[in-house]
Amino acid sequence: MHLLSPSGLRLLDRRAFLYGTAGSMSSIALCKLLSEEGLMAAENDPIRPEVRSETPLAARPSHFPGRAKRVLMIFCSGAISQIDTFDYKPEIPRFHNKEMPGVGDIKLFQSIPGTVTKSPWEFKPRGDCGKYASDMLPHLAELVDEMCFIHSMTSRTNTHGPGENFMSTGFVLDGAPSIGSWTTYALGSENSNLPAFVAIADPRGVPQAGPNNWASGFLPAVFQGTPFNMQKTIPHLDRPNAFTGEADVASRALLQRLNERHLLRNPGDTQLAARIASYELAAKLQLSAPEVSDLSQESAAIHHFYGTDSHNKLKAGFARNCILARRLLERGVRFVQLFNGAYQSGGTGTANWDGHAKLKEQYDVHAPILDQPAAALLQDMKKCGLLEDTLVVFTTEFGRLPFYQKTTMMAENDFGRDHNPHAFTVWLAGAGVKTPFTYGQTDDFSFKVVENETTVYDLHATILHILGLNHERLTFKYNGIERRLTDVHGHVVKEVLS
Amino acid sequence: MNFVRSNRVPTLQAIRQTFVWCLAALAIEPALTLLSEGKGELAAADFEREIAPLLVTRCVKCHNASEPSGELDLTTFSSVTTGGDSGPAVMPGKPESSLLLTRVRSREMPPKDEGTALSKVEIERLEAWVEKGASWPRGRVLDEFDVTTDLRAGRDWWSLKPIVRPQTPIGEDLNWSYPIDAFVRRRLDAENLTPSSPASRARIIRRAKFALLGIPPTPEEIQAFENDPSPLAYEKLVDRYLASPRYGERWARHWLDVVGFGESEGYEKNKLRPHAWPYRDYVIQSLNADKPYDRFSMEQIAGDQLGADVATSFLVGGGNDTVTTLVKEARLQQRYNDLDNMVATTGSTFLGLSLGCGRCHNHKFDPISQADYYRMLAVVRGVHHGNRSMLFNDGDGTQTSLRNEIARIDEALAKLNRRIDDLEEPRASVGKIKARRSAVNVFYNVERFAPVRARFVRFTITDTNEKAPVIDELEIYSSRDPERNLALASEKTKSVASDVNKDGKNPYQQTRHVQDGSYGVGFSWVGKESGKGWVQLRLRKPQEIDRVVWSSDRYGRKTDGLATEYKLEVALRPGKWQLVARSADRHPLQPGCAAKPQRSPDFLPEADAKHYRELVTRRQELEQQLNAVTQAQTLKEKTADEKKKTEEKNKGDKSKKGTGPQTPQAYAGVFHHRPPRTQRLHRGQVLDPREDIRPGSISGVGELFELDVDSPDGERRMGFARWLTSHKNPLTARVLVNRLWHYHFGRGLVETPSNFGFHGGKPSHPKLLDWLASELIDSGWSIKHMHRLIVLSATYQQSSVANPEAREIDSTSRFLWRFPPRRLEAEPIRDAVLAISGLLRLRMGGPGFSAFEPNLSHVKVYTPKTKFSDEDFRRMVYQTKPRMEKDATFGEFDCPDASGVAPQRAISTTALQALNLLNSPFMVEQAQRFAERVEAERPANVPAQVRHAFWLALGRTPESEELTDCVDLIQKHGLAVFCRVLFNANEFLYLN
Repeated sequence: MHLLSPSGLRLLDRRAFLYGTAGSMSSIALCKLLSEEGLMAAENDPIRPEVRSETPLAARPSHFPGRAKRVLMIFCSGAISQIDTFDYKPEIPRFHNKEMPGVGDIKLFQSIPGTVTKSPWEFKPRGDCGKYASDMLPHLAELVDEMCFIHSMTSRTNTHGPGENFMSTGFVLDGAPSIGSWTTYALGSENSNLPAFVAIADPRGVPQAGPNNWASGFLPAVFQGTPFNMQKTIPHLDRPNAFTGEADVASRALLQRLNERHLLRNPGDTQLAARIASYELAAKLQLSAPEVSDLSQESAAIHHFYGTDSHNKLKAGFARNCILARRLLERGVRFVQLFNGAYQSGGTGTANWDGHAKLKEQYDVHAPILDQPAAALLQDMKKCGLLEDTLVVFTTEFGRLPFYQKTTMMAENDFGRDHNPHAFTVWLAGAGVKTPFTYGQTDDFSFKVVENETTVYDLHATILHILGLNHERLTFKYNGIERRLTDVHGHVVKEVLS
Repeated sequence: MNFVRSNRVPTLQAIRQTFVWCLAALAIEPALTLLSEGKGELAAADFEREIAPLLVTRCVKCHNASEPSGELDLTTFSSVTTGGDSGPAVMPGKPESSLLLTRVRSREMPPKDEGTALSKVEIERLEAWVEKGASWPRGRVLDEFDVTTDLRAGRDWWSLKPIVRPQTPIGEDLNWSYPIDAFVRRRLDAENLTPSSPASRARIIRRAKFALLGIPPTPEEIQAFENDPSPLAYEKLVDRYLASPRYGERWARHWLDVVGFGESEGYEKNKLRPHAWPYRDYVIQSLNADKPYDRFSMEQIAGDQLGADVATSFLVGGGNDTVTTLVKEARLQQRYNDLDNMVATTGSTFLGLSLGCGRCHNHKFDPISQADYYRMLAVVRGVHHGNRSMLFNDGDGTQTSLRNEIARIDEALAKLNRRIDDLEEPRASVGKIKARRSAVNVFYNVERFAPVRARFVRFTITDTNEKAPVIDELEIYSSRDPERNLALASEKTKSVASDVNKDGKNPYQQTRHVQDGSYGVGFSWVGKESGKGWVQLRLRKPQEIDRVVWSSDRYGRKTDGLATEYKLEVALRPGKWQLVARSADRHPLQPGCAAKPQRSPDFLPEADAKHYRELVTRRQELEQQLNAVTQAQTLKEKTADEKKKTEEKNKGDKSKKGTGPQTPQAYAGVFHHRPPRTQRLHRGQVLDPREDIRPGSISGVGELFELDVDSPDGERRMGFARWLTSHKNPLTARVLVNRLWHYHFGRGLVETPSNFGFHGGKPSHPKLLDWLASELIDSGWSIKHMHRLIVLSATYQQSSVANPEAREIDSTSRFLWRFPPRRLEAEPIRDAVLAISGLLRLRMGGPGFSAFEPNLSHVKVYTPKTKFSDEDFRRMVYQTKPRMEKDATFGEFDCPDASGVAPQRAISTTALQALNLLNSPFMVEQAQRFAERVEAERPANVPAQVRHAFWLALGRTPESEELTDCVDLIQKHGLAVFCRVLFNANEFLYLN
């Protein structure tokens, strides 16, 4: 009796065939050559994670030991002004109301450039490191010691939708997978009861590029971000009123039996097993999602610290979302997008950071919503140890200009700033990054980058690197092409790594 | 020498030459020696065999004419011997002084990351060649696209080779002798696999009906089929399904995926496109009518020329960034993004090629040059986003015949129009009027006059067709340099105007827009007063000029503000005005014709002019008839109920009273009759245009076609459409049959349905693919014929039960040893749910229903509906498809969000899918309605209810254990609970 299966036998046959026909020195040389070739290729070969259809979100190893296990991305939708927050430019006040020297004909997004306009907020040295930050975000400003600033970010576009797409997916056009999808595709999840990737929209609504920020694009849908926040839970999570709890349990049991019998008739089809498993995960999600959103488990002190008790309803709402973000991260959710700012409605700049006009007035509304809750989140994450293995990225789609925007200026101190894709600031915190640290520089007006330009591709490459992923090798083959988050671009910004 | 090397790119002529040379080299060998350059005596064929491949595969990627590395171009004899920065690469007869050899010997070239070093034998071969005089066939230009290498595809790539109908293999198994089966069987034999046994009739009918129609078979249908004794039962069934209107609805969805059809703009505004839906109906109708695929393809490129206006929606089916900006670069970028989308979608849809790379550089992996890309871009250069008025919904074919006659007239008129344009451009008349010029139009008006020296040009408007005057561009030309617009601000020309509509607050309506080189509503001067105003330009210095071109909106979107009475004056000094042209010698503008240029035949010889007028009159009559028919049709389609609704809605709205049916519109693109010239953009930079590019085809595919740089829009697209569907183009048919295969078996013979290039999959059954492609063409491009062949094959009718041995060899059944089972897609799941609950509404056509609550604000907010009415129970193909927003229940089932093309869908399994099917309001309601139906059809008998529900949802009788389980659940918790379970069962969601 043969101990080998028929296919094993066939395999042996084929080997025998190879030896029989080509068993000479040259074929040995050929084998050697092939294996060397193979070895050489392996260093640059794509690494496509093996996703099992029954357990697509199972935790998977990184390419090399990563510093961070998970990511929190705080996204200020609408393009928060770097000039009025973190990119301190002492020259600007000197040129207030004057032409900016040394620039030629400037073409703007939708306006005529006015004169240089200083920030209405004062800059002061903060923290132990003495990094200058403005009074606009006083709580966050005090945390500069925890932050690694990149002042030399540039974008490829100066319109919001494409800009958000670019920051979230690495492509200006719609339809590419989000960085969160790439991350969960690569690493799976550490929590089998919650979605691996959660997008927390602002209490005011979804951001400008909408669901494209967390879409899975050509990656399987299982890797898309699940959008929910404290204002809007996961859809269809609750058992419908039409059915009693008992009926619900009984019907799931029947479903299980029907599916198992069906599986017996179609043995070995992993897709069928995967679907059975997805119903089990759904049941777990029904328990764990309400649990994670149940903020009553948090102490009054924590609520106060984040600001959920604020009279400002929007601030309180965002604060609740911040607590939710921490609770998700604590439970091992791999990637959390936390949005501050929504789609524009009822006039420019009223729902997000798009301060074309009346920048002072509008930012005075937006800043308190963001400031205390986000600062509390960062501090809280530090206190409970989450910052040890979580990377925090504070970002936006592009920057704003040092001049006021002529067409919208109504009166003195009533100015706004137009879009600036040539310079903006992001900061990183937590696992894997140097803090306090500042990387890259803009010119004296924060108009253009003059040192260490960092593209969005570079930022993405760096985020993946901190997660232990090689951005050039993490690929998904789609329509014949090895697709990457960073397309054909991107360099890890080694200088910011700790 | 004034020779700028970096600007040279391989010209078409060079490519043609190469081609000719390749052929010639194969045909006649020794004779060619005489034609060689260099001194040697190497025959051309030897050069092609021994030398050309070395240079092409190792050197030419970097050392080519378009952007030669180190200024060294190794593609022609003269450039090789002239050399680059370091000197001549080859000195014939002197291998020791030839840099080419020095560099390859030292392994400096090719650079490590660009390719493998040359072997000793190869170097010796090169040496011998140089030694003997470096013979080079005269005129031979090497091209990196010549041949396929390890790193890239050449023009000899498998998918670009002509389709040759292969012999059907002859096997022993008579049940597998049908051509498709014979090919599949041969491959199975080769892999040591055996086919599975045929599936049961119940399986087959479910499979075929879902595949062809996208809905489940009814219990009666299944039983009738199972009991049909005829050996032709299955054929009859398939024919019946292919004749069903449901077929077009099912397969239109596939096509809409492939082209990325969406009903909103996308990007951050994502506003709905309320007139996009007619394209969906066009696709459904075309498929149902089994319109030949070549015709179907042509219409989507040039339907306006072929009596199928709606079809061109394909061209503008992609998203459109509607955010306007004042930055010229950004605006150009947006425009080129639109054009890129058209080129890329045309390439992926019909040719299965990814052309996008050609925007910035020669394709790195496929034989597509940057010039090829811009040739195709020039084809669609006149296409803009927007709605077009049109006529559709042909009831009994009257419209089609009317339209065909109109099309014939248009063809005749087009010929005459070209003559008129040639004749008319000379001379506006300021004296006695002998012949009248054409009436003004919004797109393009020429005023040509005797050359005159002038510094000032004044255009004074004394009346418009309506409202304040608008000029989007006012151009001044001299015969000395007929291409150079002297009016542009970049020529240092200044502009002033009588007034401006919004006093500078609105950045979009300023005087400077008449000379900014940008067109359209956003970039026009708009006057303040209705019907009058003037614009004056001052040139940098006095110049001789003879022509002024003006327009109010070259994109034809805005039809008011068109100057109908005006005069054009020039002066050397202000005050000394001289009249050079005026409106008086133009025909008056006919109402409603502002955006429909009406030419005047007055300049034609009398006989032709008479003929022209007759044609125009006849055309008007036909158009009136057509309008009447269409309106009658539209009215007929409005049900009494809808009419009532409209009346109620309009009660308080006086403005809407008495308005008849509107001319139908469709988002099918706006065509610019005279597209600007297309230039190749260096590295894709919009501000760095290089040489002019002619509209034409991809050079390596089929037979080349090319038009003049200034050819009119319609001709460009027609020419391209003909090339696309020529029998000589091997891609169009191969790509289509592979798509059909893909949708039937879950995977194509080529795994990447929209990529037949280097990075695409290789065909698992190359001969079968070509057999299918030949069959498609020979059948007159009949898609239904192909369906019939596929679903009637033994391959298709196999059981899907896995055989463990076979699975070890070929786990995914790529070689088709079984029918590969798969989950149904979103649309058939939803349609099946509705069919089973009895609520499915089969009303065809017209605007879609929305998955979202109505939204009155201008903001894109898509809130999913939670209450559903009859309209929502239509088939899902009729669900309005905004980009990026998916159906709240079924979107999760890998439904594409129309943000791009979706040639293949992922099939994933998620917990959210489970939650949606269990708990969404839609599904809860459907479970209840399903229960009501079962209760009504099998009252008060629980086991009968279970059996009936099983038959409806799963097409079979429950096993006894199942029956017991189900009865038990119903008795405890009611019928609806049980129906909900069935909708969640794997068996319901899977096709096997």
